[in-house]
Amino acid sequence: MRSVFSTVFRSTLTATAALLGACVSSVVVDARFPAPLIEPLPVRMGILYDDELRNFVHVEALPQQSAWTIDLGDANLALLSPLFERMFVETRTVDAVPVAPQLRDTIDGVIRPRLEKFEFDVPIGERDEFVEVWMQYQLTLYNPDGSVVTEWPVSGYGKAELTGRREDSVRRATIIAMREVGAAISTKFAEQPDVSYWLRERQDEAALSADLGS
Amino acid sequence: MKLRCPPTSAADTPRHDGRARSAAVLGMLIAPLLASCGVTSRMEPYKQTDAVINDGEQVVILARRHHANHEAEQEFINCISDSLSKGKSGIAVHPSSEFEDKMYPWFEPSMAPLSTDDLSKLLEKPGVLEQVRETGVRFLIWLDGSTDRVASGGGITCAAGVGGAGCMGLAWWEDDARYDATVWDIKELSSAGTIHADVKGRSVMPAIVIPLPFIARPQAHACRGLTEQIRQFLTTPEGYGAGPEQG
Repeated sequence: MRSVFSTVFRSTLTATAALLGACVSSVVVDARFPAPLIEPLPVRMGILYDDELRNFVHVEALPQQSAWTIDLGDANLALLSPLFERMFVETRTVDAVPVAPQLRDTIDGVIRPRLEKFEFDVPIGERDEFVEVWMQYQLTLYNPDGSVVTEWPVSGYGKAELTGRREDSVRRATIIAMREVGAAISTKFAEQPDVSYWLRERQDEAALSADLGS
Repeated sequence: MKLRCPPTSAADTPRHDGRARSAAVLGMLIAPLLASCGVTSRMEPYKQTDAVINDGEQVVILARRHHANHEAEQEFINCISDSLSKGKSGIAVHPSSEFEDKMYPWFEPSMAPLSTDDLSKLLEKPGVLEQVRETGVRFLIWLDGSTDRVASGGGITCAAGVGGAGCMGLAWWEDDARYDATVWDIKELSSAGTIHADVKGRSVMPAIVIPLPFIARPQAHACRGLTEQIRQFLTTPEGYGAGPEQG
């Protein structure tokens, strides 16, 4: 009796898993993002990509729809890496903040980007035509000694026509939202009051060093 | 099976002779339906300069994407871009996604210039004008609008039994393709003009045993019409587009 119960239980579990598997929509956001057409800021920046950002997967079950998994890990790096390389005269990846003492003279600051929020909507009505994605990154700017200069939330919105596979539309809307985030970071980072003040300080220090050197 | 909707002015009626009375009856039933199915288009071009595209210059077609509730469909942008570059009098069209990548982030939805004044300010930013020159793009065409279903009605009932299956009824729907093409001359930093296209198409689907869809395609019609207007706009000096064209 026990073995019959066990067999039935296992079969039910297998069937449920199979059904759930069939109801999961998976999206891997793989895209190439262009480097921005901007003048680089005159600072040497360390970039800290933590594992959470590198392996970011959003999992959500939409009401009346299937469960979704959206893999953004590779896309995060594909977006941010060329972006930061163009934004600053010099960049290097760092493993932690505060940075190792031997590196402190080689960089002016460290940026740690994190993907804080990801929201999306896939319409089910006939008259709704667009998939929408909204996402928010948090950029933290540190001094090399680990003190926080500022935290800046930056968001992006994207929408894509609901044509063909829903997964493709979600992927396109996500890419548009990520491009918007990249646009905001590349054009508005230096305008943030704390960042602007910090940049002036770095420039003054550089000018003072140059004077002392000469 | 899909049948193309005939022009409203050319609704064909089957010949009524003694040999095909049933066909005539069917024809009499369908003819009014065909007459109600068709496409009406209205093009209003307005050109305010005498600028024309020269050899070596290109045009790029971009969708206005800052609206919350609509934007020109990518397939419509592709249709116009492809049609404009084809044929003997084809115009060099720069791929829109390539242009947006080269100019990133300045033509993203939240950053794109909304006026020629904004464009002037954008071109003053370091490296932007040089990059535009490198693409070879002289004219920038903003497409705004969409194709929407504005009305629909009727109904079809189908049934199946041991002896067979069949449908009976009538369904109809009306789509409206409304687009504005705004042409900017990057060389002169001015708006060269606009072309407004409004194409309405009514489709009908009578079902007498089998459904017979007579489909009107206003978006395809708008693509053809707008492409021809843009071609004339870019190749004909001032004087073109004196008034609205009704079709």
